[in-house]
Amino acid sequence: MAGVPIGRRNLFSERRRTFLGIAGVGVALLMVLALDGIFAGAMREVSRYIDASGADLFVSQRGVRTMHMSSSSIPFAAVERIRMLPGVRWADPILYDSGAVTASEERALTYLIGYAPGRRGGPAPLVAGEEPGPGEIVLDELAAGTLGVGVGGRVETLGRSWRVSGLTTGMTNIVNSVSYVPFDDFAAARGLDGVASYVLVGSDVSTGVMVRRIESATGLTAQTRAGFSAEEGRRVKDMSTELMQIMTFAAFVIGLAVIGLTLYAAILSRQREIGVMKALGARPGRLGRIVLSQAAWTVGAALAVAVLLALGLGWVLGRAAATLPLVVEASSVVRVAVAAAVLGALGALSPLIRVSRVDPATVFRR
Amino acid sequence: MGASVPLARRNILADRRRLATSVLGVGAAVALILLLQGLWGGFRVQISAYEDNVGADLFVGEEGARNFFGVPSVLPLDAVSTIRTIPGVDGADPVAVRFAVLDLHGRKQSIFLVGSVPQRTGGPWDVVAGRAVGRDDEVVVDRSLADQHGIGLGNRIEVMGESFRVVGLSAGTRSWMAGFAFTSHAAIERLLSMPGTTSFVLVRTAKPAAVAEAIRDRTGLTVLTPGELGDNDRALLARIMNGPIYLMLLIAFVAGTLIVALTAYSAIVERIREYGIAKAMGARRGRLLRVVLGQTLIIAVLGTSAGYLIFRGAAWLVVSLRPQMWVRPSLVSVGGAIVAAALMAVLAAVVPTRRIARLDPASVYRG
Repeated sequence: MAGVPIGRRNLFSERRRTFLGIAGVGVALLMVLALDGIFAGAMREVSRYIDASGADLFVSQRGVRTMHMSSSSIPFAAVERIRMLPGVRWADPILYDSGAVTASEERALTYLIGYAPGRRGGPAPLVAGEEPGPGEIVLDELAAGTLGVGVGGRVETLGRSWRVSGLTTGMTNIVNSVSYVPFDDFAAARGLDGVASYVLVGSDVSTGVMVRRIESATGLTAQTRAGFSAEEGRRVKDMSTELMQIMTFAAFVIGLAVIGLTLYAAILSRQREIGVMKALGARPGRLGRIVLSQAAWTVGAALAVAVLLALGLGWVLGRAAATLPLVVEASSVVRVAVAAAVLGALGALSPLIRVSRVDPATVFRR
Repeated sequence: MGASVPLARRNILADRRRLATSVLGVGAAVALILLLQGLWGGFRVQISAYEDNVGADLFVGEEGARNFFGVPSVLPLDAVSTIRTIPGVDGADPVAVRFAVLDLHGRKQSIFLVGSVPQRTGGPWDVVAGRAVGRDDEVVVDRSLADQHGIGLGNRIEVMGESFRVVGLSAGTRSWMAGFAFTSHAAIERLLSMPGTTSFVLVRTAKPAAVAEAIRDRTGLTVLTPGELGDNDRALLARIMNGPIYLMLLIAFVAGTLIVALTAYSAIVERIREYGIAKAMGARRGRLLRVVLGQTLIIAVLGTSAGYLIFRGAAWLVVSLRPQMWVRPSLVSVGGAIVAAALMAVLAAVVPTRRIARLDPASVYRG
């Protein structure tokens, strides 16, 4: 008896129903995977500028630990102090603000970076044109596409007109893109004098040593590039926690209902066979294992379906909506797998009760 | 086989436990659709809370300004005195606004910093504890944000490296994205190292249209009504959020459809012999298809009703546990959920219908 995979055979005896059940649980799990994937994609995108900057450290106004949705102001004197510190290979200031770039009737949200062309903090890589000269701007190619402009075109931002000198890539996300203008032009447009927003630092000594050295010399906040990037990720994560909890709970309830229905229907349709097994002396433990094996098959197949659908969705979004990346991470799959296992166990409860109550005499009824 | 036999109802009600599970599943999907739309609706209301409540008739921003959130406007502070001289202007006050991120208990909390001149227009409109800001090192924070992080009156919080004393708590000044923190205009100028600048000038007037025209002519700045500014912010937010929200709604819809299909299909498979007999006795295909559709519609109707109740409970729970999240479903969204449930019923009927359509009446007489 032990060698006959009754649970699996029973489950797959009515293939359409099993398919509907697996698809239902799979779609419920997909909900969590997709949401996880969208936030993972957003987190990856949101720190793209920081990650690609080439800086070992970022220095900001004291108490400012993030870039997005933040403001930072550093006096130029502090930039000079940083440059003088032993172990500092280079230190380049940037100006930073959020804004919108417009052309004709089109408008694209952007983070504006003011940097000294030829120094750090600018666009990398350029896919067309060149670094911005006075009165010029570099746009991300997706944003330029939205605006309908190319190299040589004109756009408006910071209250003035700019000529597009070059295009960069990979700097557009679900919220906005990154655009680059010369530092001095940015300062003049905003009426800023003698201040920077952040300082990018290249270090010849360990970044931990350099963080302490800069903070004690300037009173500013210094972070490693990885640390700064991680702070950005935490901001997105902390903003989205509540929403994630709600969505995950709803997906859990939906998945629970589907798995309960699938197992319940499978048991109900084989009530007579279960009665026969009971009449032949099958113990409750054996019958329970049949139900649990059905739950495991359903959940396992549903998880595979969910992962495949999420990967497919990510592929489609990557082509149809490049600013909405969906990244399926292994940690997310593991979390969903654990939740799915719990779902399977809970979903099996009602069928288990049903099995325990099957009367062996059922066999003789028609 | 008379038309008076309610086959669909009898079939679907034959197993109450399965029906209850199905209704719960469809209900959860419908509730999720309603909750997502309700949260989105609440967020759309919250996004313009400042413009709607601060008491200004017009907002004057830098040339080309369209949004209060997300896209900063920077004006010279002396624009305020220019605007005050324009006939019809009853009052004009500057307000400086910026996003900031606080570290509270190791958690990142985004806030929207608003700096206004004490005792003038621009500060919190509903201070529920303590008082308004009087000094440059004082702050009024949203009550739910304060509760969430254990911040009380008299406590100090650090904003962009400077310490501020909490002197008041405000209500209706929080959204899922960020909570408001109100301080003085001078404090924001200092924090941003942008002395002599502001973000918007809030204008009070009895003749908004004429005064808006006059301000544009005189200053070249952009003048918007609170309604226009709110609509622009909602449109900005929609551009960002529509993609993920529609994706989630679609997945919830597919999940609900599959649950209805699974239940109807299971009910039909269990009674497949009876359907065979009905076919053998001359039941037409249309009649049998109506039976299937009847079953899926019953599940959809019950599921939608359950979904609405689940949604009400979930909305209450969400608002109780997370006061920063407002749930405001619109009639359109409720209507949309009903239409979605009807669509679920129709789509879910496809698979069971195919099963019955292919059923050979002779199968009834086989073992």
